[in-house]
Amino acid sequence: MTGEPARAGRPTRAPDADPRLAVSVQGVSKEYALGEERVVALANVSLNVDRGVFLALAGPSGSGKSTLLNMIGCIDTPTRGRIVINGRDVSGRTPDELAALRARTIGFVFQTFNLFPVLTAYENVEYPLQHLPEIGRRERRERVLHFLDVVGLADYARHRPNQLSGGQRQRVAIARALVAHPQLVLADEPTANLDHRTGRNILRLMRRINRATKVTFIFSTHDPQVIRMADRRVDLEDGEIVRLGVRARKEWSYAFERAAEPPAFADGETQPGR
Amino acid sequence: MRFLWTIPWFAIRNLLREPRRSAMALAAVTFGIVALMLASGFIEWIYYDLRESTIHSKLGHLTIARPGYLEAGRADPFAYLLPADTAALQRVRSTPHVREVAPRLYFSGLVSHGETTVSFVGEGVQPSLETDLSRAVLIEQGASLRDDDPKGVLFGAGLAQSLGVRVGDTVVLLANTPSGGVNAVELVVRGLFTTVSKAYDDSALRVPIAIAQTLLRVQGAHAWIVLLDDTSNTDEVAKVLRQELPHDRFEVTTWYAQADFYRKTVSLFSKQVGVVRLIIAAIIVLSISNTLTMAVLERTGEIGTSMALGVPRRRILAQFMAEGTALGLLGGVIGLVLGFLLALAVSAIGIPMPPPPGMAHGYIGQVKVTPDLAASAFVLATVTAIVASVYPAWRASRLAIVDALRHNR
Repeated sequence: MTGEPARAGRPTRAPDADPRLAVSVQGVSKEYALGEERVVALANVSLNVDRGVFLALAGPSGSGKSTLLNMIGCIDTPTRGRIVINGRDVSGRTPDELAALRARTIGFVFQTFNLFPVLTAYENVEYPLQHLPEIGRRERRERVLHFLDVVGLADYARHRPNQLSGGQRQRVAIARALVAHPQLVLADEPTANLDHRTGRNILRLMRRINRATKVTFIFSTHDPQVIRMADRRVDLEDGEIVRLGVRARKEWSYAFERAAEPPAFADGETQPGR
Repeated sequence: MRFLWTIPWFAIRNLLREPRRSAMALAAVTFGIVALMLASGFIEWIYYDLRESTIHSKLGHLTIARPGYLEAGRADPFAYLLPADTAALQRVRSTPHVREVAPRLYFSGLVSHGETTVSFVGEGVQPSLETDLSRAVLIEQGASLRDDDPKGVLFGAGLAQSLGVRVGDTVVLLANTPSGGVNAVELVVRGLFTTVSKAYDDSALRVPIAIAQTLLRVQGAHAWIVLLDDTSNTDEVAKVLRQELPHDRFEVTTWYAQADFYRKTVSLFSKQVGVVRLIIAAIIVLSISNTLTMAVLERTGEIGTSMALGVPRRRILAQFMAEGTALGLLGGVIGLVLGFLLALAVSAIGIPMPPPPGMAHGYIGQVKVTPDLAASAFVLATVTAIVASVYPAWRASRLAIVDALRHNR
């Protein structure tokens, strides 16, 4: 026990949890039934992600990037294996417990921005906080204005999504992902619907926030230009991790390929699995 | 729980984003409520008109008679006579809500005119007390009776036709006396009347009670007919009179206990209105369910986003149910206002109706919107809307997040 009150959405700390880890993916597989055929989206993937890293999940379409992100984001459940988020095993949690966990721990940035068209930029950012009763109205307002300012959209608070450009919409989505002070932000192809320059600016913004707040960012992409902006990379192919790299200055150094053991990042070093 | 206020606000915004579809759903709810109000309002007016006509032509609000008279009085009417005037009558007259108490003496016999003789049922009435009590007795020809007229008789239009008499003709009434003899009086037809009941008009005549007493050679009356200030006070006054009058000498009967035709009409029409309600409820259910199902389909991606951001399923459920409820509430309010205005307009113009079976004449129908009717129409709209939104809302709340998010791509 951690001494924290047992409550919905606060899964108890896994007994073997490493406090340095933001995410621990342990032997996770995901299989789908497609008619009579079984499709393996992830095959026994293990991965430990340290807190505060800026990690890219790289790979071609169908490699399992989005599936792995969905598992880490607790919006999909693995067929086998377990996932530990922020020291807490999320296996076997009810949908409402997972919802509460996501609301307080995980921020999401989507490829298609996924803003609510009927809400203004301010209200879109405020939306996740409306389900956190511990945050009062004043604090809510302060946080929303702060993060709109962080993403450079303080002057666009009253704009609806259809009055914003693609880049601006993604900035609103980033502010929304951060407003609940999550420990982890997951971004699925955050630049795929943006032009190259806007996409790069969005990534720079995310990295700047990552450095300033030490919030862990995990994003998926197949764009080499975007991968280059990460400081960690995990390459997937056919549902397996095939490469794990750390960027030192402008060069990637690869610790291994086709890792058989759980790979890990710790203290700025690439390590083989523990 | 303090964030619940955001649900209706969000619901209204979501409804406004598809104004045409929302307007169609609103129109269906509004149409349903208006249709219900007009149909039920017309039936309500029929109830009202039939009730008041029944009260103001024959029954009054209350009938006070000797115990057992209404069940067995026809066989031996002279055994059930009330005294002409008593302290009890004064007590009835001084009871709150009582406007008039009129004696009635019932009799039957034969009426002759020239070579023609037919049977009749007669009522001896006190004309000066009948002005309001018998306002549904319509004088078609001639004039009403007067207390001081020793020769006057009013004929039901059907009876007059059977006998071939007109206003001013002389007729002879024959009736049995308590001693078993036969007595006769010669009278002059002062007028012809019709009521809501053709059967009654075909056989009834009315004479001043003094003439009836002379003909029958009796004093007093068979019943005291009580008229109240308002029909809704019937039960209350009946209760008071039952407590105040001696049970062994007086029996108080309400108008509805005697109005078999009215009760059956209400029962028949109520079932018809029930069917109308069911049809309208089905229209509302289909309309709102369709609107919300479309909304769930179109907003599947948003639902997935909400759930990914940590919104619990119950909130998604509440959100869509709030949208259905908002449609029901708004449609209900618009329907109420529109229905009320249309009811006023239709009532002002009037609905010409032919004579219903068993009635003497046609009538101009109206639409009577009562508070109960308006409330039940509004409740129907909102409750049906809530029921209609349950399934789409439940479906929305059960979506798999990953599948829902794919709809955004």
